[in-house]
This record gives sequence, C-alpha cells and structure tokens, in this order.
Amino acid sequence: MTDDTQDIIGDYKYGFHDPENSTIRFDKGLSEQVVRDISELKNEPEWMTDIRVKAYRHFEERVMPEWGNCALLDSIDFESITYFLRSSNKTEKSWDDVPDDIKNTFDRLGIPEAEQKWLGGVTAQYESEAVYHSIREDLEEQGVIFLDMDSGLKEYPEIVKKYFGTVIPHSDNKFSALNTAVWSGGSFLYIPKGVHVEMPVQAYFRINAKNMGQFERTLIIADEGSSVHYVEGCTAPSYSTDSLHSAVVELIAMDGAKIRYSTVQNWSSNVYNLVTKRAVAHRNATVEWVDGNIGSKLTMKYPSVLLKGEGAHAEVISVAYAGKGQHQDTGAKVHHLASNTTSNILSKSISKDGGRSSYRGLLQVTPKSTGCRSKVVCDALILDSDSRSDTYPTMEIGNSTSDLEHEASVSKVSNDQLFYLMSRGFNEEAAMGLIVNGFFEPFTRELPMEYAVELNKLLELEMEGSIG
Amino acid sequence: MMYHQMPIPPRSEHLWRYTPWPRIHPTKTDDVPSADDVIFSNDGPQVLNSIQPSQDSQGDIARAFLQAAGGSSSQMSLNDESEPIHINARASGHVAVGHLHLDVKGSAVVFLHISGEPEWVGLHITGNLHPNAHLAFGFINELDSNTKFLRCEDWQLDRDSSLEHATLSVGGFRCKSDLRTSLNGTGSSVRQSITVNADGSRHDDKHVEIHHHHGHTQSDLVMNSACGGNSHFIGTGLLTIAEGANKSDASQVFRNLLLSEKARAEAIPELEVLADDVSAAHGAASAPIDRNQLHYLMSRGLSPEEAQSVIVNGFLYNAFSNLTNKQLLEEMRTRLTVHLECELKR
Repeated sequence: MTDDTQDIIGDYKYGFHDPENSTIRFDKGLSEQVVRDISELKNEPEWMTDIRVKAYRHFEERVMPEWGNCALLDSIDFESITYFLRSSNKTEKSWDDVPDDIKNTFDRLGIPEAEQKWLGGVTAQYESEAVYHSIREDLEEQGVIFLDMDSGLKEYPEIVKKYFGTVIPHSDNKFSALNTAVWSGGSFLYIPKGVHVEMPVQAYFRINAKNMGQFERTLIIADEGSSVHYVEGCTAPSYSTDSLHSAVVELIAMDGAKIRYSTVQNWSSNVYNLVTKRAVAHRNATVEWVDGNIGSKLTMKYPSVLLKGEGAHAEVISVAYAGKGQHQDTGAKVHHLASNTTSNILSKSISKDGGRSSYRGLLQVTPKSTGCRSKVVCDALILDSDSRSDTYPTMEIGNSTSDLEHEASVSKVSNDQLFYLMSRGFNEEAAMGLIVNGFFEPFTRELPMEYAVELNKLLELEMEGSIG
Repeated sequence: MMYHQMPIPPRSEHLWRYTPWPRIHPTKTDDVPSADDVIFSNDGPQVLNSIQPSQDSQGDIARAFLQAAGGSSSQMSLNDESEPIHINARASGHVAVGHLHLDVKGSAVVFLHISGEPEWVGLHITGNLHPNAHLAFGFINELDSNTKFLRCEDWQLDRDSSLEHATLSVGGFRCKSDLRTSLNGTGSSVRQSITVNADGSRHDDKHVEIHHHHGHTQSDLVMNSACGGNSHFIGTGLLTIAEGANKSDASQVFRNLLLSEKARAEAIPELEVLADDVSAAHGAASAPIDRNQLHYLMSRGLSPEEAQSVIVNGFLYNAFSNLTNKQLLEEMRTRLTVHLECELKR
C-alpha cells in the first residue's frame, strides 16, 4: 500500500484493495442493452429479463428525489459506473476453492473464522456476484434454503417469481428501479414452516474495483412459525473516485414468523449507499431491523415494515455515525395496516468533524387499523460546532383508537458526565469514548457479540482525536 | 420573484404535502383574482395607518400570491400600551385579502379577531420587535365554516425581545397557516401556543417555522388539536438552529386527540441543528380519549357529550399553559370556553 493510499484511507481499516482480476467486466454506463446483456449472461428466464427492462425504462423516466441531500444525489454520474463485474466464474462451496486474491481479502476481514465459530451459513459477495457460499448441513436437511440470489433464481424460479418485487416494486423509487434493472448477487433465504434457525446466517458484501456499482438483491421468506437472524456486513476500499451501492432487500414474515435483519454498514467514505429495505409482517409476525451505519459518503436508508396482519410487531433499532464529509440520512418507516399492531423505533446518531446525520421517519396508521401502538425515540449527539443533526419525523394518524408517541432530542455530551468520569481517573478522550459507547449501547446489545465488539472498536477508531 | 414566475411547489416539500397549493388557491393556480379589502378596525386610541405591503415573498408562493392579490394594507406602531388592543379584521365577498404590520417598541398585548363569511380570505401579518420589546399576540379565527383561509405570518425579533403568540383556530372550512419567526438577536425568545378544534369535514393545516439565528435564544412551541367528525389536522414544524447559535434552547410539542373514527391527524415536528452547545427537543403524541377519564366523569352524572367536552376543554386549555402573559392567557381560555359551550349546545 502506498503512502498516498494510506492518506486517503486514514483510519479506515478495511480501505485496502486487491489488484482487480475480473473474468468479465462490462463497459461503464447504462443502457437497455447492458440490462439485457446482464440477464443473458446469467441465462435468466424471459420473465426476469422483462422485469429488468421494464425497471430500466422506469429508471430512465423517473426524476431524482427532490428531497434529502439533493446536491450529493445530483453528483452521481450514472455513466461512469461499471454495472457488472465478475471476479470468479462460479460460486464455491469450499473455502479452499475460492480464488486466492479474493480469499485473502475475506481472510483479512475475518469471514472464514466467523463462519467456523458461530454462523449457520455464510455468503461472501465480491463485486457483482457471490464467490463463496455455504450452509450448515443440519439446516439444509431441515429444508432451509440459503443461496446467493442468482442460484436461487436458477434452482427455485417458482418461489422467486412468486415473491420477487412484491414488497418493493421496481416503480417504488428511482434506486429500486435501478437495482431491479441491473441486480446481481445478494441472498435468497427460505425458512420452512416451524423451523427455528438458532445461529445467525451472514452475508458479507465487498466492493473492490473503482467506480463500481454493487446492486445486490436479497429476498428472505420466513414461513409460518419460523424464525431467523440474518446479518450483513459491508466494506470497500477507499478510492478517490466514488462507487455506488444500491441494494434492495425484501423480507416476508408469514403468520407467527420472526425475522431479525442486522446490518453493520462500514462502507468507505467514497461510497454512495442508497438502499431500499422493506418487510411485510403477516398475522402475529415480528420483523426487527437492527441497522448500524458507520461508513459511506451518503447513506439514504429507511428500513420499513408493512404490518399487514393483526398482532404483527415491528422493531427498528438504528445508529448512525456521521464523520468528516459524511451524511447519514437514515430512519425507519412503519405502516400499521392492520389492527392491534405494535411498533418501536429507536434511533441514535452522532455527528462529528462536520458530519451530518438526519433521522427521517414515517409512522402511518390507516383508518381501519384499530388499537395500534407505537413509540419512536430519536436521540442525537453533536460533538463539535461544525457538525449538524436533523430530525424529520412524520406521523400520519388515520384511526382514533391508536396510541402513538414520538420524542427526540439533540444535545452535546454532558459536561457533568465527562467531569464524573474524569474525576475517576479517565482522561478526556477515554471518558468521551465511554459516553459514546454507552450512547450506542441499546444498539450494540442487540448485535451478535462479535459484531458488537467490532462495532465498539470501529467507534473507538472514529473517535480518536475527537478531543481538543 | 413574482407569483406568475413561481413554479407550483411539489408535494415532496412538507409545507405543501397535505394541503397542496391548488387546494388552497381560491380559483385556478394561474389566476390572481381581484381581491376585496379585509377591513381592519380598532376601538382604542392606536392608529391603523395605511401602508404599502411588503414585497418580500421569501420565495414562498403563498406570500407572493397575497402580494399580487393586493387587498388592504395597514400598520400599527406600538410603544408601551397599558391596555390590551383588540383589532377586528372583517372579511366579506368572494375573495378578500389583508396585510397587517405591527411595529413594536415597548410592551403590548394585541388580539386579532378575524370573522366574516367570504368564500376565501388571505391574511399576511408581519411584525418587527425592536430591542427589549415584548408582545403578547392572540389570534382568534372565527370565520364562517364555509370559508377557505390562507394565513401567513412573519415575525422578526431583535435583541432581548420576546413574543408570546397564541392561536385559537375554530373557524373556516379549509385553513392553511404558515407562521414564521426569526430570532435575530441574542436573548430573544418566542413562546407559541396553537389550539385547534376541528369538526365536520374541516381541514386545518398549521406550519410553524422558528429560526434561531443567534445564540442564547429560546423557543417553545405547543400545538394541541382535538379532531372530531371527518376533520383533518396537520401540524408541521421546522425548528432550525444556525451554526454558532450556541446556548439556544428549543422545544416543540405536538399533541393530537382524536374524537371520532374518521378524524385524521398528522404531526411532523422537524429539527435542523447546526450548533453543538444547544438544547433541542421535540415530542409528538396522538391518542383517543382515555376511557377511564370518560367513565370517571360520567359516574359523577355528566352525559357522554358533557364528559367529552370537559376532557376536550382541559386538553385544549393545556396548550396555553406555556404562556406567561396573564391577559393573553385569560382571553384565549375564555374564547375557547365560549366556543366549546356553543358547540355543546348545538
């Protein structure tokens, strides 16, 4: 690694990159032909090609969002992005068979070690497609399907056709249209009725090439009475030019099912992270989004839940850290579409070194949904005078029997708390670090331990030099 | 920019999300109808002077429209006023527009009562509070229940001045208010209370912006609505604290009480904070009437309607509890009680 590169990377420990060694690389830019070529290359059924083309046309027609950080959004040059890059000719089931350069990357990220210790299954996606995939045999025997999305489409086309785009149609927004047009990779997970997957399954997403667009598509279906915890992590090298990550994640929790989806997003600060995540919760189902946003240049992500069946419950816990040059525009949306549905949203953010964090949320109760309850809490810390914090919550209440509350506060770290810790022997930096870790604690305690430890380390790195 | 040069604002702007400009415009959006005057009158010794209305639309289509539509334009200068001032604004005809400017150099209590039966009425109120000025301002909307009402307000507060601002909104069929206050001087403060009682198919959209441009400024906003029938209330707030405006203290509370199955309420209290040493908080809550409270009152002999009225009265009274000016507080509460008693007798 050169000194120049190290300068760009700074403290970002995943900022290394490997020499690009692609087997297929599309020219930069997007056209209908590119969309058709991706579909043809993957040998997809005609219906999927049609969906892609339809989505591409919608993407072309749709204007950029007129809200949020329009200046940054408008600076995305869709013509300078590579929309498909294949690094390996197949998805390996044995770690030893993964190409050495890619394997080295994931070794450095600790993926094989994590898999051996505590995962029920793992997918590793490098650029556009999965390069490694495995699932524990006992889960496979119980009928759990855990595949990368391309294999899912090949092996279970009827299930994919039934659910693909039902939660997030291509016309939902400009970036869901883009994803539907050029999607590649992602996870396909199906949990049969009554099966409880005790250990989390994980996907790891890595962008390595410059000006790369990663458009993974994830579909998780938890059948009646089942449960699963899915964890995803993301990193990319720090280049001086920008990359785009625009994923679509659809979750379907059938009656009585439970899905927890945890994310620790740690993209490097040259990545636009524009993701659409939405879940449908049927009768008595529970969906939990646990969402941590540490990296990226601009993140716009609002995990949503459609509470469609009576008694369904949604839980969203999110944290965001906005450092120098970063804008974390995150939040949550919950739509109470059925009676006696409940939701909790907890959002915490920290802005530092000129960073900007925004909470943008929606809580909707439709006229026919009686007896709904919801609570939203947003807390923000601003650590210096150059930084900024915004809160944009929306409550749309269409039913008089609902009980909803929202509260938010923005403040700096309390001098009393700092003084208390320093009077017990901590220096100011350590005291500040403890307070920040404590501030994020409601989030980290919901993560698997390894992720929580990793997140705390990342925060410590980000907080270095925050005093004085 | 002139009205005709302005694009129609998109619904992605939250100011126009629930009451888009075409819904509040009196006719078609490319039309500026000739407006009758809103007649301002005052029983006291203070003089209402005729002036040219402000030409600063702030890039806002509603303000630009009110400027283009013309109508009456009056100004009142206030020094230290011993008695409360009651300004009556009377509107009539098809479309009526009025502009009122208050220039405050001392301490004053002002009530503005708007009434009448026009199809559409527009009101633009502006106010300058000079250093150390204190104004308690009560706005009482008692327009006819078939009137569409557009109201814009712009308040500029200088060093150590304070504004106590109360609104009682019970009139009009479709109302859109855009109330903006700029805290331009150190030590300036605003306390704002808004009470809305909506019934039938009434639609009331209140947007409140408070901008802390300087440090050591304070703001406190309470918005309570009680909605029955098919009514729809929208409360949006934008609270900004500028870079360097340290030691600012800002809070917003939105509460909605839903009285019928078909009533709707939206609350969007937004915060934009660019300074680090501040205290900023907001809260919003929405709920039906507590059945235990109803039961308690009915067990003491009140009919269901009376019991509900008592609870609504208490809830709406509470919106004014952050006011410190006694004359303002008493007048607003009296008006509210009279309104609720009339409602009960219907």
